[in-house]
Amino acid sequence: MKRITEFIAHETDGKSFKTNKFCLDSISNSAINYEEPNNISLNQYGETIKLKETIDLSEQSKKLEGSDPLFKYFLDGSRRTYKVDDIIYDKKVFPIIAGQIGVGCCYRENRQLIPNVLEMHNVIALPESADKDGNFRDNFFENLKNKISEIDVLKKRNISFSKILIYNEQKLQPGQRYENFGIAKIQDEMIEKEKQVVASLAKNDKLDQNSFLLKDGSLEYKKMKTGDYKDLSVIKSNYQCVIGASKSFNPEKCMDERGRSNASIIAKLPLYHRTPAYLYESEISGDVKFAIWYVRIRDSKFTYSPFDGILKLEKILISDIEQENGIETDLINIITANIINERNPVCYGDDTRWANHLYPIYMTEYYIKSKYLSTEYFLNLF
Amino acid sequence: MQSKIIGKIAATENRPTTIDEFYFWTSKNLILNPFDVIKVNHISDSTTYGVVEEISHITDTPSYLTSYISNDFGDVEAITNTERIGMNYIKAKVVGNSKNIYIPVTNGSQVSMADRYEVEKALGLDNVKNPLVCGYIQMYESADNQNRVTLPISLNSDFLIGPEGAHLNISGISGLAAKTSYAMFILKAIQEKYAMNDTENNGIAFIFLNVKGRDLLAIDEPNLDMDNSDQKLYEMLGLSHEPFKNVRYLYPYSTNNYSNTYASKDLIESQIDRNKVSFYKYIYEYDKDSLDLLFSNIDDPAQTMDSIINYIISAQGNFGNIKTWENFRNEIDEYCKAGNSKTDKEISIASWRKFKRIISKSTKNPIFSQRTVEEKNETRIQDSIMNIKKNDVFVIDIAKLEETMQSFVFGDVIRNVYDLKLGQTQRDENDIPSKIIIFIDELNKYASSDIPKNSPILRQLIDIAERGRSLGIILFSAEQFRSVIYDRVTGNCSTHAYGRTNAIEISKKDYQFIPNVYKNMMTRLKQGEYIIQNPIFRSVLKIKFPKPVYKQFK
Repeated sequence: MKRITEFIAHETDGKSFKTNKFCLDSISNSAINYEEPNNISLNQYGETIKLKETIDLSEQSKKLEGSDPLFKYFLDGSRRTYKVDDIIYDKKVFPIIAGQIGVGCCYRENRQLIPNVLEMHNVIALPESADKDGNFRDNFFENLKNKISEIDVLKKRNISFSKILIYNEQKLQPGQRYENFGIAKIQDEMIEKEKQVVASLAKNDKLDQNSFLLKDGSLEYKKMKTGDYKDLSVIKSNYQCVIGASKSFNPEKCMDERGRSNASIIAKLPLYHRTPAYLYESEISGDVKFAIWYVRIRDSKFTYSPFDGILKLEKILISDIEQENGIETDLINIITANIINERNPVCYGDDTRWANHLYPIYMTEYYIKSKYLSTEYFLNLF
Repeated sequence: MQSKIIGKIAATENRPTTIDEFYFWTSKNLILNPFDVIKVNHISDSTTYGVVEEISHITDTPSYLTSYISNDFGDVEAITNTERIGMNYIKAKVVGNSKNIYIPVTNGSQVSMADRYEVEKALGLDNVKNPLVCGYIQMYESADNQNRVTLPISLNSDFLIGPEGAHLNISGISGLAAKTSYAMFILKAIQEKYAMNDTENNGIAFIFLNVKGRDLLAIDEPNLDMDNSDQKLYEMLGLSHEPFKNVRYLYPYSTNNYSNTYASKDLIESQIDRNKVSFYKYIYEYDKDSLDLLFSNIDDPAQTMDSIINYIISAQGNFGNIKTWENFRNEIDEYCKAGNSKTDKEISIASWRKFKRIISKSTKNPIFSQRTVEEKNETRIQDSIMNIKKNDVFVIDIAKLEETMQSFVFGDVIRNVYDLKLGQTQRDENDIPSKIIIFIDELNKYASSDIPKNSPILRQLIDIAERGRSLGIILFSAEQFRSVIYDRVTGNCSTHAYGRTNAIEISKKDYQFIPNVYKNMMTRLKQGEYIIQNPIFRSVLKIKFPKPVYKQFK
């Protein structure tokens, strides 16, 4: 009975090395993410009132307590990546990266979280050379995917692969690794699935002014216009009622008017205060502007670092007026006050990022993770 | 009807499913109770039945500290938009499988409520031979009418009144446990089912000792407090709601100056009118052999009291010529005088004096009398018991007698029943009831582990517990704390009923084989609820029983 990697080697005329199989993921426990790419400048405001100082939202959040919360849907996507083999094509060695992708969305009703959408996908990332002819690439890999799913080891277990992703074989720069190209492809696929879920919620009129979606992580996708989503205005309108909440960010990337690091404004943010919202035009997303602001939901005296307990929030600017003047300050205040009210319960003891986690997001993440095949099980398919 | 699915089996590394038990998760809002029966879809289209033992609620809170932090570091007013994820998980004991498959149930199998027939099957109640109703169970009490199960429970009477097993022991706190009421409920069921209809053998006779107030002094009169719902319960159980039949009350003889009973004059007169009363007496000439029973609770390590009793019973000295209690006491006085030379040297004067102290007070009670007058319904316990007939229900009142006298009368009753069943009578054997059921409350007075081991009553009780099954002497006993009863007595009881008790009691070794959750339930049982243990039940059962059918004095 052939294993998947042997089968791929056979089908793609490569040679499998049967190298060690292992999981590639690591979890960062820090709220600081030094890899965040772009600077956020204070030059331009992302909201209608040009605030000079942080705003205290403790009163507003207190008033909202007990009323119907703004956030009804919670979205998270995650992936697990594994190096399952090395394969040789034309005297060059490439890694085979496999991944499990999970995108889940939960709905909240009567304070209970109810699963709404769950997308679980198994994928394999191969180098371009796997298709020796280089023609009809999609069909080749589509056929390869179908053949893989017929392998006994998968059929017996009722497991299938939904896509074979192809990573570029560009010449590696110092520090670059093919593994990371494969992982990036799997990450892109996960983001694509997230976009699908948002589009589906928007299409079915699930999101409105009283039912916002809170998404884990940034909304800044590498390319907004990808895959099935060509029309940027439609994509943007899907995000009318979507807020991205990032547990980790790079405070060094927050600049003041003179272009100097403004990390201290975030570090010194008092409890339940938010910063002004800054306008941010993403270099990687294309013609998309964001309003970005930070809020502190935990008192810094209870956290390890001054950046623990702070969330980076973002919202896409949709209309022309918004793009011109920023989002209404009142709306940002309401959104932030609602985020503050999501601070409890906490996952202290289960996750070291507890100070930055919001429970419904945490639960959605937990839900997805509960559906993953175990690492041992997954690796033994290869 | 489609069974309501309530959860799924969870077999984890730490808590695997086993041949004996399994765990399943269920909604935190579903109200189940210990003893509820649930069913699980198992392999080969079989069904495994389980009885709920423990119910736990968990959330994803890893520690108390997390809970504290989740309330803004200790703000008791903190409100959350989202409830923590939580569920109940339930430990259940396997009680059976429809195809006798006992490999563990598998992870993810659906768990559902059982219907009435499935509950019967699960608990092994569907094919009970010689069924005798002992109460009813209510399952899924908080469920809607459609799913709620009310089921009469019958045990195999061969395991309660012989020949396979015998004796019932009931324990529980006074008042809250309603021990007497429960004993009477079962006794009434026996009277109705067997005593009045038994044609195969010579039937059953009953002897109840009334030890408290007027509890059992009107068991042939209806309970006027019974309402429609109580009557319906009796109908559901297949019993009538009429009081006991064939009852005769044996009161201790009283004089105008000395009353030996709590029964009112009116009550006794009405019973006399119905010819249901006898007054019992002890006559020296016939009853002196029972004197040892007055010493049941007296520690007698040197056996001097024993020697004196033997001396008297064997008519040594002048005791052979004595005909009355008065003369008896006078004679004892003689032996107590300084320098008396009537007795051998082995019995000291001090011992005679101790003997005198003990018997003087008791034998001055009017029941120690000169003679009986039949026309005035006077009798001796021995005479009454030796003539007991099938279906007879004797209620012997000892409530107002002082403790030594109560022991004396009870001891005399069981001794005479024993003699009767061992053939110490001129009666034709076929005329003697095949079974005599004795009910005694406050068994601790006669069979506690503190009672001297040489107590004649204890010896007799052990003998009944161990041999009564074959002789047809069945003991229904009750006490507050089972743990104080001599274990050879309780150990030989085939059926045990545990009513409401306290935390100290359940910590005793008598309860070590009962699962913790059931033990704890014993401290919360309501009046009219019992946990029953019987060899034919696959699990202990929590049963209920209706109000008594006979008159209750308030």
